[in-house]
Amino acid sequence: MTQLTREDVLKLARLARLDLTDEEVETYRKELSAVLDYVAQLDGVDVAGLEPTSQVTGLKNVMREDKVIDYGMSPHDLLRLAPKSQDGQIKVKRMLG
Amino acid sequence: MASKVSPEIRAKYTVTIGIECHVQFKTETKLFAGVANDARDAAPNTLISHICFGLPGALPVLNKEAVHLGIKAAFALGTRPQKYSAFDRKHYFYPDLPLGYQITQFTHPIIRGGSLTIDVDGEQKTIRIHEAHLEADAGKSTHPAGTNYSLVDLNRAGTPLLEIVSEPDMHTAADAKAYAKELYLRMRYADVSDCNLYYGNMRFDVNVSVSKTDVLGTRTETKNLNSFKAVEKAVEYEVNRQIERLEKGEQIIQETRGWDDAKQVTFSQRSKEDAHDYRYFPDPDLPPIELDDALIDAVAGEMPVMPDEWRRRLSGLGLDVSQTDSLLEGELDSAEVSYLLLIEEVIDQKDFAKALANWFVNLEIPLRNDETARINGDLTNQNRLRMYRAVFELVKTNKLSSSNAKVLLTKLLAGPEVADIEDFAKQHNLIQESDEGELAKVVAKVIEENPKAAEDVKAGEMKAIGFLVGQVMKHTQGRANPGVVQQIIKTQLGL
Repeated sequence: MTQLTREDVLKLARLARLDLTDEEVETYRKELSAVLDYVAQLDGVDVAGLEPTSQVTGLKNVMREDKVIDYGMSPHDLLRLAPKSQDGQIKVKRMLG
Repeated sequence: MASKVSPEIRAKYTVTIGIECHVQFKTETKLFAGVANDARDAAPNTLISHICFGLPGALPVLNKEAVHLGIKAAFALGTRPQKYSAFDRKHYFYPDLPLGYQITQFTHPIIRGGSLTIDVDGEQKTIRIHEAHLEADAGKSTHPAGTNYSLVDLNRAGTPLLEIVSEPDMHTAADAKAYAKELYLRMRYADVSDCNLYYGNMRFDVNVSVSKTDVLGTRTETKNLNSFKAVEKAVEYEVNRQIERLEKGEQIIQETRGWDDAKQVTFSQRSKEDAHDYRYFPDPDLPPIELDDALIDAVAGEMPVMPDEWRRRLSGLGLDVSQTDSLLEGELDSAEVSYLLLIEEVIDQKDFAKALANWFVNLEIPLRNDETARINGDLTNQNRLRMYRAVFELVKTNKLSSSNAKVLLTKLLAGPEVADIEDFAKQHNLIQESDEGELAKVVAKVIEENPKAAEDVKAGEMKAIGFLVGQVMKHTQGRANPGVVQQIIKTQLGL
């Protein structure tokens, strides 16, 4: 049985930029432990001699020519999708240097 | 900063340096989007698309030219590209990265291995390349002073980069600087990047550690250095800072540091505790790259001669390292002139080839970088060679002094083209007077005008002879051959 610690959950939350209550930390600690156990079943599969697979489509070398494409979207339309903008830039909460 | 570390203490430590360099590829469009790539003069957020914005459902499609340049870069680093490479997602959250991950090559980079040779104070050192991978750049953020917000411009988001990771084979600040310069030259010669350091086309991260034992010390990474000098100074600073700390019994913290160019110091940016867990995994949106030998060989055939090969070809001329480097760098100043090809064309005529190299290094290349000087843009390479050869012949036959050769070449380079160069030199009073009868008259006159100096020479004060030669040169407007003049003076004074 995997037992995630409270610190494990807080670290994951920090990486995901999530602010969790103490109650949520405890909930996810249990749930994520169970999820990991479920996935851990894969550890039992014999993969000796198998190449790691990262693609199942069989596709390769899907490339385009180095030319500008008109996607039919103006910068203005895109910028409007940002929650806030100013002077043509996306405005966000101040980042620390 | 003034170092408090004495050379004796410094000598106890081994310094180990590895460098990561981001090279911006000179493609028309971004790595995964058909959006123009040159953000230099573009207004913020005008070179963007749904792909750059990471909108749901937007799919990246790999730019063929970026792969082509990656293959060229492999050859430039002295190796062949990997036949199989693939893209991974590197996750971190930052406002200039709308996808929430950077697309990079973590497990299967396009380049593994390779090496380059640097010359540091006459010593040849081989620096191995660990790997180099393709990746997409992030956007640019600014932080207006006195506000509580930041502004994000995504023009640069998705620009193709090659991150070149060296092995930790460097041991001094001079090694680091030489490596950075050599990478620059190779990327320029391979023509994969504009390599404009001012615009951040090449950015260096230096990893530095010091140790008194065989075990490597804790390293720091100083990021985003954008000049060779900054690379050198940042290494120097880190080495001193780390040794000072260790000597005081303090620990080195593994951390990312920045470089303050104004203060010439590094400063802590984030500690290991805050370092990201990137959660890499293969990008399912991007099928792998598989290169076959036919394609790789075809690109090999496009490769121009690289700097190390040029050094080998020029090695017979007896040029020193800085002269050769001037030629290699000067070659990049102009698309029209090829100094190296011209020298190579006459490489079997060693004296002329050497004179040509010297004139390029000491005259034409500096003139080209002098804004007040003029160089005739219509001068073809072959006419340039003919011009230099004519001047070389005049010097060789003692008709032209070496200083007047420079004067003559400066006039000739400014153009327009001259058919009879000896005649042109005569018109400008640059041809040496070797007619001994004529010179003898001038010498007699100078001796008469300067009896004191003549007496001194007779009395064995050989310094005075230089004065007399100078007077003759003055009378002849520099046209006399100084060796001949000296001989005539001696004869006339009975020496």
